[in-house]
Amino acid sequence: MKKGLLVLAAALLLVLAGCGSNGGNNTEKNGSSNTGNNAEQTQNAEQNSGASEQTEKVKLTVGASEVPHSEILNFVKPILEEQGIELEVVVFQDYVQPNVQLFEGGLDANFFQHQPYLDEFNAERNYDLVNVGGVHVEPFGVYSSKVESIDELADGAKIAIPNDPSNRGRALILLAQNGLITLADDANTSSSVADITENPHNFEFVELEAAMLPRVLDEFDAAAINTNYALQADLNPLEDALIIEGAESPYVNIVAARPDNKDSEAIQKLIAALQSPEVEKFINETYNGAVVPAFQ
Amino acid sequence: MNWFENIRWPEITKATNDTLTMLGVTMVFTVIIGLIVGIVLFLTSSGQMLQNRIVYSILSFIVNILRSIPFIILMILIMPMTKMLVGQSWGVKGAIPPLIVAAAPFFARLVEASLREVDRGVIEAAQAMGASRWRIIWSVLLRESRTGLLAAITITAVTLVGYTAMSGVIGGGGLGDLAIRYGYQGYKLDLMLVTVAILIIMVQILQMVGDALVRRFSRK
Repeated sequence: MKKGLLVLAAALLLVLAGCGSNGGNNTEKNGSSNTGNNAEQTQNAEQNSGASEQTEKVKLTVGASEVPHSEILNFVKPILEEQGIELEVVVFQDYVQPNVQLFEGGLDANFFQHQPYLDEFNAERNYDLVNVGGVHVEPFGVYSSKVESIDELADGAKIAIPNDPSNRGRALILLAQNGLITLADDANTSSSVADITENPHNFEFVELEAAMLPRVLDEFDAAAINTNYALQADLNPLEDALIIEGAESPYVNIVAARPDNKDSEAIQKLIAALQSPEVEKFINETYNGAVVPAFQ
Repeated sequence: MNWFENIRWPEITKATNDTLTMLGVTMVFTVIIGLIVGIVLFLTSSGQMLQNRIVYSILSFIVNILRSIPFIILMILIMPMTKMLVGQSWGVKGAIPPLIVAAAPFFARLVEASLREVDRGVIEAAQAMGASRWRIIWSVLLRESRTGLLAAITITAVTLVGYTAMSGVIGGGGLGDLAIRYGYQGYKLDLMLVTVAILIIMVQILQMVGDALVRRFSRK
């Protein structure tokens, strides 16, 4: 009985300690658990920094895809640290949660999507997330382990494309722009297989999860793959892609935030750090043209 | 939002067929493999006819590992084996081997539990009467645990319906995949609701058939 009580007491203490460390420091730091008050708190932190003896650190939590987004963010992390911002990068595997978490206040910003995707997301869920700055473009490409050029694709070839609305549209538009199929509306970024009006080579399109496409490359005649997944699978968009998007594409990857924190000092510093010559150099050197800086 | 403007019935029909195909083929192999593994697990466990600690430990260990691996990871890990077995690692065909590998250990554990429920007295009586091992397994063990096994099959089938939703990742299609793509990614709630409704009906039918069979074979 006594032993049981001791264990229970220890457990309770641990729980209280955990709660305490989150709740007690709100005047100093921006906790990621705060919902939507980051702009105000940044102001308070700046005002208090003169009076307080401790170094005031503003915490910025940013959700990102693994490659190259989290890598670029980790590159600017020390730069931001010198400016008094503690950057926490949270890596996500999917393309839905980073926006949901940003909207609900769990994140201060995210960096993984392009404008067309954000627009569609906002429209469908009545969100109001905003673009606070463009960083780079990952030209979308079509790859093949079977043929060396896009003209070699036989009639009836099986082409694998992403199954989510936004990437599927992008894949189909890329194919249409290269003359392989004709779409009902070339500008419709949510195009689906049902919108193909002409398919003279009778290509068969199979839809799989975007992340799965590099893995099944050898089972199809060609596959349209997002650059971040291609990079992770050791494909080089410049060398291995049969066809690839131009760098002027509307699919610049942006940093997104909420209306209530988009003008905060922390976010502005983040954008300034990202749209810098240092980052431009980092991107060019690390990704050899597979990722192209596009500061907008 | 205009209700039901997004329903594309041909797509739903194809998805329903895909789910039923995956369910049917997987269940056949799951029952065969799971039954064998479950019986071996039971018989080699301590105190039983073919008691063998080494065999039991190894088999139990393998079953535990297979049950611990998240399904999507399992799909990816056995892709080479899937390619060898059915020729491709994607689509409905490519989804079936991982579904079997995931469901069979689960069913095996249910079988093992079912066999443990059999009254030891009946087994001992059969042994006393000089029945051979095979006779005991077939006429006593399996017969006595019939209702438990039928219930286990029903449980496994219903669980499998949920698993098939994951097959969308590799292009396996099915109702669950439609629900994920349109409900979660595409936010088309009406289509998602229709696919979920069909899944509910499917599970209800499975459960009702299972319960009816259990009642039919129950000796009371």
